[in-house]
Amino acid sequence: MNNEQVTIAQSYLSFKLGEEVFAASVAKVIEILEVPKITKVPKSPLYMRGVLNLRGSVLPVIDTRLKFGMTATTDTVNTCIMVLNIQMDTETFILGALVDTVQEVFEISDDEIKPAPSIGSKYKSEFIEGMVKTDEQFIMLLHLDKVFSSDELVTVKESLALPTIA
Amino acid sequence: MMDQFQAKFIEEANDLIATLEKTLLSLEQNTGDKSLVEKVFRVMHTLKGNSSMFGFEKMGAVTHHLETIYDFIREGKRPVTKELLSITFTSLDHFKVLLTDPHLTNATAALAHEQVMEQIHRLINQADTAQLSQNELTEQKTENDNSAKAVQNTYHIIFQPHADILINGTNPLYLLDELSNLGEAKVTAHLKDIPTLDSFAIAKCYIYWEIYLTTQLDINAIKDVFIFVEDECEIKIEELATNSLSINNTLPNYTTAKPSANNKINAGEQVVTSSKKKGEDEPTSAVAKEQLVSSIRVASEKLDDLMNLVSELVTTQARLSLFSEQNSIPELVSIAENIEKISRQLRDNTFSICLVPLETILLRFQRLVRDLSAELHKDIILVTEGAETELDKSIIESLADPLLHILRNSIDHGIEPAEVRIKNGKPAQGKILLKAFYSGTNVHIQISDDGGGINLQKIRSKAIAKGLITADAHLSEAETIDLLFLPGFSTADQITDVSGRGVGMDVVKRKITELRGEVFLQSKVNIGTTITIKLPLTLSIIDGLLVKIENTHFVVPLALVDKCYEAEHTQLVDKFNNLITLDGEKVPFFYLRKEFNMSLTNHTIEQIVVIKYEEKRVGLVIDAVIGEYQAVLKPLGKLYKNQDHISGATILGDGTIALVMDINKMINQFLKSETVNILSYE
Repeated sequence: MNNEQVTIAQSYLSFKLGEEVFAASVAKVIEILEVPKITKVPKSPLYMRGVLNLRGSVLPVIDTRLKFGMTATTDTVNTCIMVLNIQMDTETFILGALVDTVQEVFEISDDEIKPAPSIGSKYKSEFIEGMVKTDEQFIMLLHLDKVFSSDELVTVKESLALPTIA
Repeated sequence: MMDQFQAKFIEEANDLIATLEKTLLSLEQNTGDKSLVEKVFRVMHTLKGNSSMFGFEKMGAVTHHLETIYDFIREGKRPVTKELLSITFTSLDHFKVLLTDPHLTNATAALAHEQVMEQIHRLINQADTAQLSQNELTEQKTENDNSAKAVQNTYHIIFQPHADILINGTNPLYLLDELSNLGEAKVTAHLKDIPTLDSFAIAKCYIYWEIYLTTQLDINAIKDVFIFVEDECEIKIEELATNSLSINNTLPNYTTAKPSANNKINAGEQVVTSSKKKGEDEPTSAVAKEQLVSSIRVASEKLDDLMNLVSELVTTQARLSLFSEQNSIPELVSIAENIEKISRQLRDNTFSICLVPLETILLRFQRLVRDLSAELHKDIILVTEGAETELDKSIIESLADPLLHILRNSIDHGIEPAEVRIKNGKPAQGKILLKAFYSGTNVHIQISDDGGGINLQKIRSKAIAKGLITADAHLSEAETIDLLFLPGFSTADQITDVSGRGVGMDVVKRKITELRGEVFLQSKVNIGTTITIKLPLTLSIIDGLLVKIENTHFVVPLALVDKCYEAEHTQLVDKFNNLITLDGEKVPFFYLRKEFNMSLTNHTIEQIVVIKYEEKRVGLVIDAVIGEYQAVLKPLGKLYKNQDHISGATILGDGTIALVMDINKMINQFLKSETVNILSYE
């Protein structure tokens, strides 16, 4: 994890799911889309919203709220899709992550990043690179590769089956 | 820059090796064919020249010796022997190693190199002794040409490269090295043309060389060194004397003496210009030029890119057509129609570019059959028909392994040893026929052998022994043969290192299924076995029937569609047995809204598409049939890899996505989840 922090520019894109603010390293974000028509693939997990046409290629879209165990909401004008470049093992692939709203790009230095709390969080600490405090608000820096790589999706799916307190 | 050219060289060398392999195989069948020997010699010569030029000296050495041998054969001084051919084959394999490891850092490879060289040397010596016994005169001549020669000539060579020779990746120093290998050489570099630093261009060559060379070889051997750069330099070769001039001592004097016009000096003077050498003088370059005109090499990624772009264009064009339909502007309509026409042609052309003849992988099989049958002491010939049949290049690539499996099986288990064959009244030589042909939008590849065939009883007892079927199970012939495709099944009594480990036919079947193809096997005891592979022409585009369920479009592969019907809603829902009578025949059906966990509708009339599933008719209930559609298949990606119902997606004219159904897998899935197996109804 330390290596990555050295090589990746310290710019993050913040986005909201419900009332909580998360951030993703900008190096991982290819673009941000409005929500077009998404084709649902039958018999796929609930958190897989479907596929959309990204300039001629097929982009799978994950409903990040459902994946994080939050309740589903209807899309608003602010809802958008972050197109992310996810590295899994040696392969990279592109996916879309549906989020409630995208906020801003901000820069932070390494020493402002605090380690994730190991208890009292409903998110697995391995998915979180660290926490940042800005204007009386905590932002969780997500480890996107881990969150979205296929194997992790399975574990999230399993945890979805359990009753969540969210 | 040099690296880039080396990569190019390796690519070319692989081609040359493949050509050699092919030619040698035909030569083996027809040892008397002079034109084949000629071709081997030519290709060997090109390979030699290229390899020494790009610093693959070890390869250069081997090719050099082989070339010598084939030169003898060419001149009729030696016959083509089995031994020679097998050494040549070994060398070809060795070349492939040398291409990846030119300096033989790997110890075993280095050892192999020694062995190859030794074998070749032995063969060359044989060549000499053979001639000795043959003909006194020839012997004399060879000795003159070849070994311990007393006659040494001295040449004066001026090698003046054009300024931009370096741009093509030629390193003049390699040429000088090669010259020095011919004999004793004294090289002087002339530096007077080198400009001052401010006007010095780094990629240009400003030097020319003057060489005094004493060698046993004649002037043609020297010209050969420059054969590949003759267009890029001025070369002047003069014969100074027909004896050895002790270069180091006398030459400076000799140079000054030159104006006094010794009659020997100008005797062999020849200015080699680029216009002079053409045609028969240099067959290799002529061949290369011919090839340049008829085809070009393109990196396969570039083709993939082109293919993707065309798919995008087709999609965009569909959008344009839709738009022009909605806004009836006459001019727009005609433009849209034109673009539609052009993009269709472009698509067809691009698809045809991506088609590769089956021939490209057949060479490998010829070699395999040759090596393997020799190893198993069987005499087997592989005959191919329809090798020009073309398939999508990605299919061809994935086809190689399954075909290898099938051929190995035929050679190892199918074709009997010669004694058994004679006893059964068959010719001693076994025959495997590989036949490819088109049938509709499919390509069939048939591999048949005239071997012992498959004993159904043997399969049966094996299957019972393995617990795959019960002892009293009734199986039809086809069902018994299907057992062969189960994982871990092999009828071979003993495991050889070729095949028989029971990982064969199931892998073949899986690979072919992945390519959306099918495998069939027919066999008759003592007559032979025929395996037929049926493949789609291309993986990336399919003809489909576009249908709609709820808000989602689906594509059903048209090849599987039998007929479309309408039916009343009440006939379809809440039925216990999921059967409907269509055209007087009871057809099982799946209500896709229910299967896909979508909300049920209250349409009074529903649409049924009847498809073929394993020879049976099965109905799929959908909302609406839209029409035929050419679907450009795109993968759903990694995140949907567990999704069995859908084989891919395609983009429609309005930019939305339609999902392409994988009918076989989908119905299999439905059947698994179904409590009542509706297809068991007869």
